[in-house]
Amino acid sequence: MSNWLNGAVARAESVSDWLAPKRQASLALLREAQWPTRKTEAWKYIPINVWDRTELQSDAVEVNAVAESIEGLNSIDLVFVNGELTSDLNDELPAGLSIVSLADASADAQSWAAETFASVKPSRHLFGLVNDVLATQGVLIDVAAEAVIEQPIRIVNVLTQDSEAHTRVLVRLGQNAKASVVEQFCGNQRSKNTGFAEYKVGESARLEHYRFALQTGESLSIGGSHFELATRAELNSTLVGFGSTLQRVDVDVTHAGEHAFAKLNAIYLLDGKELFDLHSTIEHAVPHGTTEENVRGIVADNSRAVFNGRIHIHRDAQKTLAELNNRNLLMSDRAEIDTKPELEIYADDVRCAHGATIAEIDKTALYYLQSRGVSRSQAQIMLNFGFINELVDEMPNDVLAEWLRPQLRDRFAAMEVK
Amino acid sequence: MTEQIEKALQREYEAGFVSDIESDTFEPGLNEDIIRRISAMKEEPEWMLEWRLKAYRSWLEMDEPEWAHVHYPEIDFQSISYYSAPKSMKDKPKSLDEVDPELLKTYEKLGIPLHEQMMLAGVAVDAVFDSVSVVTTFRDKLEEAGVIFCPISEAVHKYPELVKKYLGSVVPQRDNYYAALNCAVFTDGSFVYIPKGTKCPMELSTYFRINEQNTGQFERTLIIADEGSHVSYLEGCTAPQRDENQLHAAVVELVALDDAEIKYSTVQNWYPGDENGKGGIYNFVTKRGICHTNAKISWTQVETGSAVTWKYPSCILKGDNSIGEFYSVALTRGAQQADTGTKMIHLGKNTKSTIISKGISAGKSNNSYRGLVRMNPGAAGARNFTQCDSLLIGDKCGAHTFPYVESRNPTAIVEHEATTSKVSDDQMFLCQQRGLDPEKAVSMIVNGFCKEVFKELPMEFAVEAGKLLEISLEGSVG
Amino acid sequence: MLSIKNLHASVEEKNILKGLELEIKPGEVHAIMGPNGAGKSTLGYVLTGRDGYSVEQGSAELDGVDLLELEAEERARAGLFLAFQYPVEIPGVSNLEFLKASVDAVREARGEEALSSKDFLKMAREASKQVNLPADFLKRGVNEGFSGGEKKRNEILQMLLLKPKLCILDESDSGLDIDALQVVAEGVNSQRSPDRSFIVVTHYQRLLDYIKPDFVHVLADGKIVKSGDYSLAHELESQGYAWLKDQPADEAATNDVAEG
Repeated sequence: MSNWLNGAVARAESVSDWLAPKRQASLALLREAQWPTRKTEAWKYIPINVWDRTELQSDAVEVNAVAESIEGLNSIDLVFVNGELTSDLNDELPAGLSIVSLADASADAQSWAAETFASVKPSRHLFGLVNDVLATQGVLIDVAAEAVIEQPIRIVNVLTQDSEAHTRVLVRLGQNAKASVVEQFCGNQRSKNTGFAEYKVGESARLEHYRFALQTGESLSIGGSHFELATRAELNSTLVGFGSTLQRVDVDVTHAGEHAFAKLNAIYLLDGKELFDLHSTIEHAVPHGTTEENVRGIVADNSRAVFNGRIHIHRDAQKTLAELNNRNLLMSDRAEIDTKPELEIYADDVRCAHGATIAEIDKTALYYLQSRGVSRSQAQIMLNFGFINELVDEMPNDVLAEWLRPQLRDRFAAMEVK
Repeated sequence: MTEQIEKALQREYEAGFVSDIESDTFEPGLNEDIIRRISAMKEEPEWMLEWRLKAYRSWLEMDEPEWAHVHYPEIDFQSISYYSAPKSMKDKPKSLDEVDPELLKTYEKLGIPLHEQMMLAGVAVDAVFDSVSVVTTFRDKLEEAGVIFCPISEAVHKYPELVKKYLGSVVPQRDNYYAALNCAVFTDGSFVYIPKGTKCPMELSTYFRINEQNTGQFERTLIIADEGSHVSYLEGCTAPQRDENQLHAAVVELVALDDAEIKYSTVQNWYPGDENGKGGIYNFVTKRGICHTNAKISWTQVETGSAVTWKYPSCILKGDNSIGEFYSVALTRGAQQADTGTKMIHLGKNTKSTIISKGISAGKSNNSYRGLVRMNPGAAGARNFTQCDSLLIGDKCGAHTFPYVESRNPTAIVEHEATTSKVSDDQMFLCQQRGLDPEKAVSMIVNGFCKEVFKELPMEFAVEAGKLLEISLEGSVG
Repeated sequence: MLSIKNLHASVEEKNILKGLELEIKPGEVHAIMGPNGAGKSTLGYVLTGRDGYSVEQGSAELDGVDLLELEAEERARAGLFLAFQYPVEIPGVSNLEFLKASVDAVREARGEEALSSKDFLKMAREASKQVNLPADFLKRGVNEGFSGGEKKRNEILQMLLLKPKLCILDESDSGLDIDALQVVAEGVNSQRSPDRSFIVVTHYQRLLDYIKPDFVHVLADGKIVKSGDYSLAHELESQGYAWLKDQPADEAATNDVAEG
């Protein structure tokens, strides 16, 4: 058992708010839960004990951190510093959009949010349960039916030295609604946080989603984005992850209504001694769903990437189309990639496929660039960038893609060239 | 249409008869005394008994694996009898003429005549009946080439140095729960040694038959291919149709020394239980080979039987340039459950592995591929290619793929692909429109789906495999 | 300009080049013909420094610079250009990005000023027009989804932009229809000048009808076994390579030195 978890359970007992019934249920599960070991399949490759071992100084200095805005994005920014919402929610919002603080929710928001809370995110995730019982801060975003919100909604979590934070995001899109949500995590100092988000995407609604898990250094971060798609709902999600001492992200999609479409792209770029663990489960519970999942990673130096991608086609989910592709470049003989694409299929009239490759950088392409005068190190950066850029190009928001590219380039430039 | 397809796949279990043979069978139960008695029945030397007891003590501390995608009631290991042998085998018949004719009839009925003149030329057979080897054919001819092919119980006496050196060297006693159990209670199986530079002059084959009720079969096979040698080995298995489940927990170890090649083929047709999952064999098997420099091990399996299969024939590619292959067809019907696949552990430089797995699920069955490909830091230039295809027939079955891919060498290349498909109505219609009956149409489609694996089987086995799937192999063999 | 002496090279421990000699002066166009497996492509790879090709003996100098000591990119910057037989696809890296990186690197090595993005774009557009590549191709991934002809034209385009001293065309004619072949040939002819030389590696005479070489060499079994002028190409076209085998290797080598 973990001291940290015992402490978390004890802290949770004093949490009391409008989510109490939901939190109690999760707390009961948490009390029964086992701390993961290497034998726990969901944590097989990641030494979770670092979470337990890492001590935070309790007299952490208050820091007035701010989140930089993204130029040209014109987003509605919701900023959490060390788990505290610092943005003013009183600004006028576009018609059809309501954003309230979890800590300060109106009765209206409480009713839909209580229903959504812990209903999309599966209860099997230990740290999801931790977030259920400890996340007293968060936002509730409600997009009314037929509302088309052009401005992206950006939720930024900034973590500073020795902070511990648990934040929760609940999002509801009504019928035919359209919105774009960016979850961004930053900080490179020793800290612990869990950040989970649950999305209910209504009938024929369209959600554009980004999760930028850009914490690095000594930060420990565990979180997830979980989606439930109603009939003909569309999800286009991009995850970008840098590694740190511990990073674990779960992206789960449930096709709850027929003819829904999910496009999931994910990128991870690791260097130094970083870890990044991405788990993704796609539940096709009903017929006629489509999922396209593309995951690419570059793993350099002493780092380690883990990918577990599961597609589960339920008994009745006939006519499902689901494809998952995971491609990795291994840059060093001290780095490691562990990938496990899984198919679990209980319906016969479906088209499912997955593929996974691990290789090094394409030597022929490297030579081709060199033969045109480009240095080996620059050629390597170009090829790495190209490998990832195919997915960056697919991001529907060009401003975000432009914002991301120089950061990716900096990462590649820092990667040790062998 | 699905109904027609399912009907086409249904067949009687032809090997389900019981032979009326008087046997010496231990009372059910497992303890150190039972192990001592097994060892005594085999007149084993002390070191062998000690080895068994050590394994037993390990087993007591181990847990039954739960990670496989299979479900079955808890096994009561005390309700199983761990030794059963035909009474007539007590006097150790010296030649075929002294063997109980009823035993020979059993094998004849199974299509495995043991009289050499009647046999398939070019295949030597070791016939294992419950806990003992009944007869090993063509031994003289093999001895001429220096090849040792005998029951492992005999090898313990005759070739103790080889057995001591290699037994447990590929699958350690504590490797897993069933392997540890096997180490403690194994009764018979085959032992093969191919001397340096020798190409084994004929196919070697072991045929396993469970007959007695409430017994488990714990066979042990050890094949050593010395430097530069070459052998092809076939394994077949059947059991009577009974309402109770029976346990089969085998261990097979292959050692391919430098430049050696072992081809190991299995057609597994244990009784699968009835349509509702009553009865059938629990087939919990550990098979693993080690490849030294430039060596090659190729596993080919056609799995059609057993109520529950838990089996991962694997290769440790220790030597540079060594090669591992795994070709598998697993067909599950009724309430069968199979969780099978392979592990390819790349240790040496420029090692290569190929995995081709074809799973066919019908009825209410569940069929899983589970595999591990690991590129260790030393596996520079190593290469793996994996292709897992599933064919679903009907909407009540399941097809699953659980591949683990781990790489720690940047110059190693791993490629994994998996697809799933069904026998489509269009395919069926086309075949029928061209005058084929549904049975033939399914045969053809399934056959096409499995082609890549069938072509790896030795000719004699390909025919048997084809019969098992009730499909014609025309054009896909040879 | 290029001086190759007694060049022995192997790939995967197999000897491919076995004492090759070749002298090329500024402004000359040399064609190298020969049967499959003679080492024609290997020569290009060895000169440009591809991994896996090792030189056992001999030397190769470009204007007095020892090529064999240099990294692949340094050779390119020294003025050596290989038009690939099978141009490589690099998905995700745009042609524009690729060409700019390449041109910047080569210009810098020559001590020339870096081009502004605007000037470069203008130059790239003009060059693509010259080789009949559509304007949008600059935005696409390097050779990604290109037809065989487009890939070959892209090679010529790179040659136009990089302005090398010595160009090696490795079977640039293979798989091309007559129109594409003409584009390739015109690209080459437009670049002929007194201070630029070419090695045209080809299996057929066809390309040589458009690019008239000054010299034709026959490469067989890792050596130049016969050299001559343009008429040798015709001879080879009509008679094949078999008749060369009857010639004593010594004599062929002597001829080679005499003519080279």
